[in-house]
Amino acid sequence: MIGQDILMVLTILMFLSATGYFVYRMLPIFRVMQQARSTNRLDNWPKRLSFMLGQVFGHRRLLRIRLSGILHFFIFSGFVILLIDIVSAIGQVFDPHLVLDAPLAFVVDLWALLVLVGIALAVYQRAVLKPERYHGSDERDGYIILAMIAVIMIGIYLHESFYPFAAPYLFHVHAALNPWGFVSYAMGHLWIQMGLAHNAAVAETGYILGYLLDIGMVFAFMAYLPTSKHLHIFLAVPSIFLHKTRPYGELVPPMQKEDESMAIRTFRDMNWKDILDLFTCTECGRCQAVCPAHAAGQPLSPKMVILELRDALRKELGGGEPVPLAGGAVSAEELWSCTTCGACQEACPVFIEHVPKIAGLRAALLEDGEVDKNSQKVLVGWDRQGNSFGQPQRKRPAWTKVLDVPIKDARKEPVDWLWFVGDFASYDPRLQELSRLVAQILERAGIDFGILYEGESNAGNEALRMGEFGLFETLAQKNLKWLEKAEYNQIFTTDPHSFNALRNEYRKFGFEKPIRHYTQAFLDLIEQGRLSPSPLGIRVTYHDPCYLGRWNRVFDAPRQLLEKMGVELVEMPRHGANSFCCGAGGGRIWMEEVGIKERPADNRIREALTLDAVNYFVVACPKDMSMFSAAVQSTGSEDRIKVVDVAELLAQAVGLSVPESAVAMK
Amino acid sequence: MRIAVLMKSVPDLVEDIALDEDSGQVLFDEMTYVPSEWDDQALEEALLIKEESGAEVTAVTVDTGDSDNILFTALAKGADHAVKLVGDYDPSLTNRRRAQIFADYLRDQAFDLVLSGVQAIDDIDGQVPGLVAGIMGWPHASVVTEVHSKDKGVVLRQEYAGGLVAEIEASTPLVIGIQAARKPPRYASIAKVRQVAKTQQIEEVEAESPDVPTLAVRRFYKPVASGHAEMIDGDVEEVASRIIEILQERNLLRR
Repeated sequence: MIGQDILMVLTILMFLSATGYFVYRMLPIFRVMQQARSTNRLDNWPKRLSFMLGQVFGHRRLLRIRLSGILHFFIFSGFVILLIDIVSAIGQVFDPHLVLDAPLAFVVDLWALLVLVGIALAVYQRAVLKPERYHGSDERDGYIILAMIAVIMIGIYLHESFYPFAAPYLFHVHAALNPWGFVSYAMGHLWIQMGLAHNAAVAETGYILGYLLDIGMVFAFMAYLPTSKHLHIFLAVPSIFLHKTRPYGELVPPMQKEDESMAIRTFRDMNWKDILDLFTCTECGRCQAVCPAHAAGQPLSPKMVILELRDALRKELGGGEPVPLAGGAVSAEELWSCTTCGACQEACPVFIEHVPKIAGLRAALLEDGEVDKNSQKVLVGWDRQGNSFGQPQRKRPAWTKVLDVPIKDARKEPVDWLWFVGDFASYDPRLQELSRLVAQILERAGIDFGILYEGESNAGNEALRMGEFGLFETLAQKNLKWLEKAEYNQIFTTDPHSFNALRNEYRKFGFEKPIRHYTQAFLDLIEQGRLSPSPLGIRVTYHDPCYLGRWNRVFDAPRQLLEKMGVELVEMPRHGANSFCCGAGGGRIWMEEVGIKERPADNRIREALTLDAVNYFVVACPKDMSMFSAAVQSTGSEDRIKVVDVAELLAQAVGLSVPESAVAMK
Repeated sequence: MRIAVLMKSVPDLVEDIALDEDSGQVLFDEMTYVPSEWDDQALEEALLIKEESGAEVTAVTVDTGDSDNILFTALAKGADHAVKLVGDYDPSLTNRRRAQIFADYLRDQAFDLVLSGVQAIDDIDGQVPGLVAGIMGWPHASVVTEVHSKDKGVVLRQEYAGGLVAEIEASTPLVIGIQAARKPPRYASIAKVRQVAKTQQIEEVEAESPDVPTLAVRRFYKPVASGHAEMIDGDVEEVASRIIEILQERNLLRR
């Protein structure tokens, strides 16, 4: 009896100390979460649940990187199986009659093997493949975890294989090797052949050693977790359940108190999910691998932002002096490198939200007056003239002057469609041509439309993403003055950034008018028979704008529109939700390009050039037109590929004369 | 050290200058105004002195109807006090009179250092700091790019034509015309300015309209263009041959 008693006491002691230590380490984190800002993440829970199950058991995002996803599935599913083993192994110590049924024994043995295969693949990935995304991650932690899991698996086999031989002495019961547990069965026979099985001392030692390697390591693992990236074992599933839903493109929720700032200065300025994110991060680096700023050689990695914040919080919880988060824990250079494209959030298998944190930290820098000097001019320009071009407000509608048919002033008369033009489409001389083309298409379709003329200001999408909430609010109020007064049925825009602001950010002010991007609206017009394009018969690729695709999930409309125009679409490797940012968003278009090795737009054009016989690069965003036209020139690919706006294609398809200057290059 | 920064707003040149060509009058009421950018530089330098060696910074304007935003912005950036000199003034206020109003105020205060923009788009000669110094009989340095506090005085950098820079020691009190601060002026976020407007006060000081010598402006008018650029149209070949033609016409090509 004495052996069993010792094991029972030991198990209880290990259990108490491990869980006690775990709770002791976790409590401070939950306390920080309690003090953080609130956010509602329990709405629509059935949908959240089914989404979570798909991500957890279907490994949807994880499988985007094939090898990594498969090996993770092996190890992950092993943990589910491990639960069966823990129950049976501990159960056996307390009640020796408990024996795993044949199928369960088989499952445990098989999965322990799969986990070991998974670990071998993981080591191969870390040590041989060495993906760049791991750069900056704690590799030692990764290996420790893999070793611990391997030890647990070996422990399972070991105590199972010695159990029949040790049971008579330890537990005073008789047991036989179970052929279903095929690995331990084979090992048991090996012990018999080696003469170890029927030596009481060896059998007992073998069993106890196996038990400790298994259950002991499980408890050690648990105690290790709170300071490891492997805490995601517990936090990943809730994090996926609590993911940000509608409106996905809304960066900042309505402020709850007057004078509340979006600036993140302390951890209390984040919401509780932000805090949870810091400890959920698995350091997998998938965000880093897709980040356009990182690819350009800038100092930003979304992963490092999360880890730097996590380490700062850990230090604080450990009694360290708090460091400034913006410009301290995370450097100003990192923060201003972000294009807010959202590729990181899209890639993250545990649904961490990087962009709101970056914007909040930017807001703190901005409050201290620290901002790139070029973009400071733009902020001042928005405040004074309502546009980023440093042009007078009254020149905003200047592009309409040479049109044959004047555009209605929606401030003065009701219209069916209110066209929100945006800065670039209003002021950039090359894009003005494009705007006139859009006006002609609308006229051709017989749409009753109007614009706000001088009444329109920049929508404030970028100001907000630069952390300037007050300016965003000022701009929004200026626009809302007319948007609420004018009579119209829907808003129409060519600009994804304005689209996002009007659709997602103006809700804070109670504004909820329907808005359509021109790709959606044009598709409608064709389907209604108001426009009849004749097939263009060209081969193109299409670039998903971040603020149309990722942030607003409009992926199909532009593609269907291209199809209706008889255009053959060849996708770039990175398309749809995985589209690669042009580098202009989040205010980057105005900032200095210090330390950029390869501009994101150049990188993107090079990607398009790898496609076979594709000569057109189709865009659906005014900023993309600017960025990619420049990239085609700077990569010297003028004779290989031509940047065209989807409106140019449609104008041509419906037989309008397309002015040569509307085309970005010859 | 107590520092006063004299600030003013000037017409926003993004918009056209409102000019009644018939009467030759500038229509001051029809223009929008922005803070003079050199005054922003002066404020920035004052704030840098404050951060470097401690100082009390007071932003001062003459109220011509639009000075609150300048002052709240200065407070948001880190100025300690804001003073608005009030009287019956409008944007047509001349710099000579403005300087007199500033000087009348400064005389009663114990400032060690008075900084202002070396120039503004409405007084290209850098009048305000020089005039204020002259009226008060204080020493004056102009076109200064850096000011540090040292012992009882200041050390400043002054730029000369031809790329020469001098480092000058001066005792206070002193009036300095700032050409540029050491760093670009900091940004004041809208929310912060708004918050400051709610929580901090602008001190209003009555300022009587002083008698000053004035110039009688006969008329304002837009400069008459004496020539114009030739835009060369056409494809690369045409443009290139036209350029060669021009160079030949002016004997700029060596044969």
